[in-house]
Amino acid sequence: MNIFESMSKIDRRIIYLILFIVATVPFLFKVEIPMKPTSDVVEAYNFINSLPEGSAVIISADYDASSMPELQPMLTAILRQLFSRNMRVLVMSHWALGVPLAQKAVEEVAREYGKKYGVDYVVLGYRPGLQAVMVSMGKDIPKTFDNVDYKNRPLKDMPVMQGIKNYDDIGVIIGFEAGSVGDFWAQFANARYGARIILGSTAVVAPDLYPYKQAGQIIAVLGGLRAAADYENLVHHKGTATYGMTTQAFVHFLIIAFIILGNIGYIATQRKRRS
Amino acid sequence: MKREIPLLISFIAGTLIVISLFVPHPPFNKMEETLNSWYIIVSGFTFILGIDSLLLYNWDKIRRKSKDWPFALTVILSFVVTLVWGIVSGVRTGHIFSTNSTFRNYFYLYIYVPLQATMFAILSFFIASAAYRAFRARSLNATLLLITASIIMLGRVPLGNAVLIPVLWIAVLLIAWVVLLEIKATTSASTRVGYILMLILMVVIAVPLTKFLYGNLSAATDWIMDIPQMAAKRGIMLGLALGGIAVSLRIILGIERSYMS
Repeated sequence: MNIFESMSKIDRRIIYLILFIVATVPFLFKVEIPMKPTSDVVEAYNFINSLPEGSAVIISADYDASSMPELQPMLTAILRQLFSRNMRVLVMSHWALGVPLAQKAVEEVAREYGKKYGVDYVVLGYRPGLQAVMVSMGKDIPKTFDNVDYKNRPLKDMPVMQGIKNYDDIGVIIGFEAGSVGDFWAQFANARYGARIILGSTAVVAPDLYPYKQAGQIIAVLGGLRAAADYENLVHHKGTATYGMTTQAFVHFLIIAFIILGNIGYIATQRKRRS
Repeated sequence: MKREIPLLISFIAGTLIVISLFVPHPPFNKMEETLNSWYIIVSGFTFILGIDSLLLYNWDKIRRKSKDWPFALTVILSFVVTLVWGIVSGVRTGHIFSTNSTFRNYFYLYIYVPLQATMFAILSFFIASAAYRAFRARSLNATLLLITASIIMLGRVPLGNAVLIPVLWIAVLLIAWVVLLEIKATTSASTRVGYILMLILMVVIAVPLTKFLYGNLSAATDWIMDIPQMAAKRGIMLGLALGGIAVSLRIILGIERSYMS
């Protein structure tokens, strides 16, 4: 096998090994690359800042552990902005296993800012039914959750829920999406009730959401780890997304290097075969 | 009657929901609220169907001692442990995901989350290997896909600009190499002149293109995402929506009955 053939047929185990090294080293040494926040992230940040203090914000954690690296830091960064501006936070999920992740993030950030459960934030929990839940929330949010929080405590006794009936009383809905729930937020909560929506999503899901952004149905799309890193940057609290972005950048460069090598090998061997 | 009653229920429920969208006044809005509540309750029961299917399928594999039956046993054991632990923890603390729930603090956060995260992380290795094998300039379409994917990959990460110039020039040299090989191989003088003109044109274009992309990589990435990507995506979405409307109408009118089988 000559050099060109080797370039076109690199053993996958070699690719895995190099990728492993490139992915772990920047993360271990916390290498940081300076970044300029993207326009979508700035739009979302400015919109939340423009809401009056004390506004109610719905956080919908529609993801689970597989999408945590991208969405958990994004959620944590946004919660920092919300609590620093004394917003009321209502946590819910359309994914049964999204609730504990959001709950963990909100508890950690609430502790940092001295916020109290029931006064500054509440966990409404999970309700099956997706579109039906969204439509029902457009009419009556507490009733959709049977007027209780995730531990069956009455919502009417909680100051955080005072004055909240439906989407009209919500400053913004922020969905964290690892699947197609974001589409339904735009199609049901916005198109039908005019709810204001920001969608944070994994990088894979983000292209599905851009049409809603361009149509003005959602305020901003926060796509993938880059958006999470940008948000951490805006709230001046660097975390896993910032360091993870360095890893992602190096992995992208590595993949491009492999693609170039593969093509050089492919073209050379094809020429040889043809001649 | 076994077929007619479900068809009648589908017709009434579907028609009411459609009417309530256009007439959001009593009694239709109230009816829609009630139907939505029923839907939410019924959705909850679908979990039971899922569990029933999961257990029966795996139990059958164990019973017949079919290939890989120990995996089926693992599924059932994991299910039972999760269920029992969840119920006990939920009863003791008020909810399975209460802050003091052992299910949340041990099982969910330290077993389930790392397992699922690991499964997903493995994908990056497969994607790298697949990209290396799939992104080959085999045809014009494949080359366009390769170039677009590379621009997006560089445009979406910091330092992409810095890497862009060497990548672009390697791509240009690669194409030039192919063209030179073609020039060498061809016997026709006119084809040779054509290739030479192509080579000159490519070098002439490459310099301003590199300069343009260097300053506007982010804008170029946004353009790809906002225009060609979005056009294709909209087409798919419109097709899906029209398909959804057609299927819904067929169900409401009782033409589509496969959901009953």
